[in-house]
This record gives sequence, structure tokens and C-alpha cells, in this order.
Amino acid sequence: MTDTAAAPTDPFAPDALNASEGLGPVDPAYGHVLRITTALNMLPLAIGATLFDLLVMPRIGGPTGLVSVAAWLFAAIAIVTFPARRVSRWGYRIGEGQLRVARGWLFRTDTIVPFVRVQHIDVGQGPVERWFGLSHLVVHTSGTHNSTVTLPGLQADLAAAMRETIRRHIQTDFA
Amino acid sequence: MSDAAALPAAADEPRWQRLHPATLALALVRIGPRSLQFLPAVAALGFTGNWVWIVPAILAYLLIALAAACLQWMRFRFLVGDDEVVIESGVLSRQHRTIPFDRIQDVSIEQGLVSRALGIAKVGFETGAGGKENDAHLDAIGLDAAQALRTTIRAHRSTPVAAPAADAPESAPAPAEDRLLFAMGPRRLLVAGLFNFSLAALAVVGGGMQFFDNLLPFDFNIFNPMDWIDIAGRYGLDSWLLAHRWIAGIGAAISLLFIGFASGVATMMFANWDFRLTREPRALRRTRGLTTRTDVAVPVKRVQAAIVVTGWLRKRFGWHELRLQSLASDGEKERDHQVVPFGRIEEIDPVLGEVAIRRPDDAQAWHHSHRIVALGPIIGATAATIGGGIALYLGNAVGWLGIVAAPLIALIALWAARYHLWADIGDQVAIRRGWWKPKMTLLPHASVQSVDLKTDFILRPLGLATLVFGVPGGSSLASHEIPAIPLGVAQDLRARILTAGLRR
Repeated sequence: MTDTAAAPTDPFAPDALNASEGLGPVDPAYGHVLRITTALNMLPLAIGATLFDLLVMPRIGGPTGLVSVAAWLFAAIAIVTFPARRVSRWGYRIGEGQLRVARGWLFRTDTIVPFVRVQHIDVGQGPVERWFGLSHLVVHTSGTHNSTVTLPGLQADLAAAMRETIRRHIQTDFA
Repeated sequence: MSDAAALPAAADEPRWQRLHPATLALALVRIGPRSLQFLPAVAALGFTGNWVWIVPAILAYLLIALAAACLQWMRFRFLVGDDEVVIESGVLSRQHRTIPFDRIQDVSIEQGLVSRALGIAKVGFETGAGGKENDAHLDAIGLDAAQALRTTIRAHRSTPVAAPAADAPESAPAPAEDRLLFAMGPRRLLVAGLFNFSLAALAVVGGGMQFFDNLLPFDFNIFNPMDWIDIAGRYGLDSWLLAHRWIAGIGAAISLLFIGFASGVATMMFANWDFRLTREPRALRRTRGLTTRTDVAVPVKRVQAAIVVTGWLRKRFGWHELRLQSLASDGEKERDHQVVPFGRIEEIDPVLGEVAIRRPDDAQAWHHSHRIVALGPIIGATAATIGGGIALYLGNAVGWLGIVAAPLIALIALWAARYHLWADIGDQVAIRRGWWKPKMTLLPHASVQSVDLKTDFILRPLGLATLVFGVPGGSSLASHEIPAIPLGVAQDLRARILTAGLRR
């Protein structure tokens, strides 16, 4: 039953996974975007932990410093290491009348949306993405399961070009 | 008011219409349950000792509610134009909504008990925009006007689409108008109700009895064996009964069974009384209901998938249920359309034929999903064991429950894993799952909007993948997925389905 010869050998090789599945990587600059958004999420938490340490811990007689060290360590690891890894797990391929988007490693999802099934397309750009000249493409289908498929980390002009490619194929095939 | 349906020959000047005046009566009826909101205020008045003010306060509340209903009625108007419906509503914030006929996927007509007495009906326009708040409705207009309105919109819809529909294979035989496909008589309803045995109502009744124990005029809980002993003792049977205590248990069990069956029959009767499924030129139309009669049409071309559901026991007797997943969804309460609630497989096949879906025959070879699908429940069972162990360690006897339940859960999961089956039959995929409540999803390749191929750290080392299909409409019963099949097979199937979808 298990005749999967071409399984990725080294799970932690950054591009082996995408290459073995015939997918192209997203822009590496997306790593910076992820890093900054992660930092924006983690810093308030870490600061909150420090405040808790300074203000509350002395009153309840707990160990001072433990919580804030742990929080800052966790934040540092989350900001430094994870984003690069997450970016390398994103892959996409456009062509043959379909868009293919893969993401994740522990839980990997590989989505294919045929262009003719696309209801409408968004190209979005957040403030951090704009900083690095990136956009994300959101494809809407009428399915309830995958009603939106998001592909982040595209150069802005590439995203626009992809939108045009897909738009040419959109047709209403409902009666 | 029935000129809503008049063909728009002289539709130059806008002819705004209002809702049926009887709607106000309906609003009055609705104030009843809504006045529950007012209870806290009444309670507050009572507690502070201002008893005198309670009646005036209630009167004022009713008056305000009635005035609000009147205002809403006066500020609501709608217009049926050449090719659109315009609805204006709102007292303070006005809302103006235009719905082109082209975008109306279906018109549903619903009548509650009061509406039926008043001869009015609620008309819903399904536009395919997801969510309940997005669907416009007229609550309510006269029944004949509602039917005429639906005819108008349907007539409009069928004209421009007739040409492309001609090459569709299923419209070739040109079916006769309104052919009856399936109906349920009282006998069938009774049988269906018996299979509909449900202890859900029992829980409600039992809970209520516990709750109102002191309020009831008789002090008797039919679920309590001790009460049965008491009643026997009153008739001098106690000496005999104490020797035969099991009689009391049987008494409780019988009343339990009776309530289960009775509630099953009652819900089936109320929901499906005079069930009729007819084939109209472009849709399957379903009317049913005893107190609330609903009338829903499922456009044939919008049917995305079919789900055949049965039960462990009713399968032994050859009874099945057919649901159709359609783009025009039925609103919040029913996301897929139950077109055959209870029927023989020979009765279901013709209905499936009407929507161009076929059922795999008995000789169909089915592929199995990997046993790993039982992993989730087994992890749950392990957790139950650990939790039970901890509880026991802490001296809580409830822990035995977890420890006893865990192997049962694991065994059932392993057993049920054998029932994850799938088959690719030409232009559609058939997915079966479930042992206690077997269901078979028939999914035409052409309705697949997107395909996910999922692996994770458990499936990947085993060379497995899960396929998840994005299908319009959505169903409460079936997630369209084939879990844990070999990766190569999954990739092949995905490619086949997507090319089939593109060909259409």
C-alpha cells in the first residue's frame, strides 16, 4: 500500500518539500512580514508578563523574574526562528488552469482551485506588507469548505498579474 | 393585493405594495413570547412593592410594541418590477434593497399555524448570499399573491436560461408538469415515527419532572422506580412487589419506551404530514408539515450532491433517507434539503435519477480508508482512562466511569473505522461512513470547487493523505472528505476530479 517513493527525505530542508511537490516558494521577504507581525503580537504579551512580574508577584510572594524571563525567551524564539520556517513551508503553483497553494508542515494542506471555479479575487496589502512591496492574493470559491484560499507573500506586481490571469478564466457557469 | 403577479405590462409608474394587513395580527401574536423580556421589569416593580404600577406598565409595554409593529408595517413596502424586486424597510434607518430576478435562486413559501388561519404566507427570496441576515423576505403577504409572485419569478428565470439548458442531458426527456415523485401517507409516517424513537424529548420531560417535582399536583415521577413501588404499595401490592422489585424497573422502562416512541411519532407527524415531492419543469418541489406548512423548491441544476442516510436498525428493514445538497440553501435550520425523509431504496433511485446522480450498485467495489482514522477516538479514550485514574486516585468513584467507557470507545472507534469507504464511479465520487448511522455521499466531480490534500505528522510517515472537497451549499450531515487514503491514490483521484470539473 505504501508505494510512495518520492517522499521528502529531509523534513527540515527548507525547499526540498516544495520542490518535491512541484511547487514554487513564496517571496523570502514574506519572512520579514511574518517576523514583524509575530513581534507585534508577542511583545504586548511579554510586556504584560513583565508587568505582572513587577507588580503582582511581590504581593503574592511568588518567584520574581521567572515569568518575565520565560515570556521574553518564548517571544524571542517565536520571533527569530519560526517565521523563516513557516515561510519555507508555503508553496504555490499557478498554471494548467488551476491555482495550487500548499502550506504548513505538521499539518500540511495542499489546495487546488480551478480557475473556472473562482467566484471573485482579492489582492490585499497590509501596512507591513506594503513596507516590503508584497501583497496577498485571496481567491473566493462558492464551496463552503474552502470558501477563501489565501496566498501570501507575493510581489505586488506578481499578485496583480496572477489576478489578471485568473480573472480571464472566471465565468459564471450557474444556470 | 394579488396584482403582485400581474405581468408587468403597465409597470411604468412604480406600484408599491404593502404587506398583507393580517401581518399586524401576526405581530400581535408574536408580542406574546416577546413580552418575556419584560418580565425582569415586572419583577423589579414587584420587589420594590410598587404593585399598583404593574398593570399600567404591562399595558404601556403592549401599546408600545403594537405601535412599533404598526410603524414597521407602514414603513415597509415592496415593488415587483419587470425584472427585480425592490424592498424598502426600516423605521429609523431606512433600508432599500433591490434584488434582480436573475439573482433569486428560489422563492420559498412558509406558513405557520396562525398564518394558515389568516391565509397569509411568508415569502423568502434565496439569493445564495450566505447567512440568514442576507436573505430578504416578505413577512407576510396573501397566499395566492405569494404563489403568483413565485410563478412570475420562475417564469422569468426559465426564459433566458432555456437555451443553454437544452444541451444538458437531464432535460432531454422534457418531463411532464408536476409529476409526483414521492409522497408519505399516515401509515408511512407512523412507521417512520417508530424508527424515529428519540430519548431527547425524554430528557426534557424528565428534567421538567425533576424541576417541577414540588409543583405537580401528584407526587409521581415515572422514571423513578421508587415511585412505582409506592403506587403499588397503595394498592396493597407492596409485600409482593418488594419481592419482585424488577416489576418496578420494568414499569419505568416501559414508560420510558412509550415516551420515546410517542415523541418520535409526534415529531415525524408534525414535520412531514402530507409530504409531497413533485417534479416541476426545473425543480423538485417539496411541501410538508402539519401546523407549519413549508413549500420549498430545489432547482435541479443547483443540486450539488446527494446524501443517503440510514440508521443501524432501519437499514435492516430497508429504510433510507435522501438529502440533497443544493446551492439554494434552506436557511439556518436546514442546510440541506430532505427530499425523501423515509423511503425504500427503490423510491430513492428515481429521485436521484431526476437530479442526474446515480447510486453505485451492490456490486461496487469499495476502497477502505486506513484504520488510522480511529486514532482520534482512541486518544480520547486514553484521555478518559487517565482522567478516570486521576479521579480514582483522588478518591472520586466517578473515575470508574471513564475507565469503563475508554475501552468501549476505543473498540467502537476501531470497529467504525472499517466503515470509512469510498469509490470513484465514473463522474462522481461515493463516500460512505458510519456504522451506527451509515451515510453515503454521492458527489459529482463537477460540483467540486476546490480540493485540499492534507497530510500531517501522523499520516505522512504512513504514506497517507486526506482529501477534502469544497462543495457549494454545505451540509450539516456530511463533510466531503475521504480520510486517510494512500498518497498516490489521493493524488490520482484529485487530478481526475479536477479535470472532470474543467471539462464541464
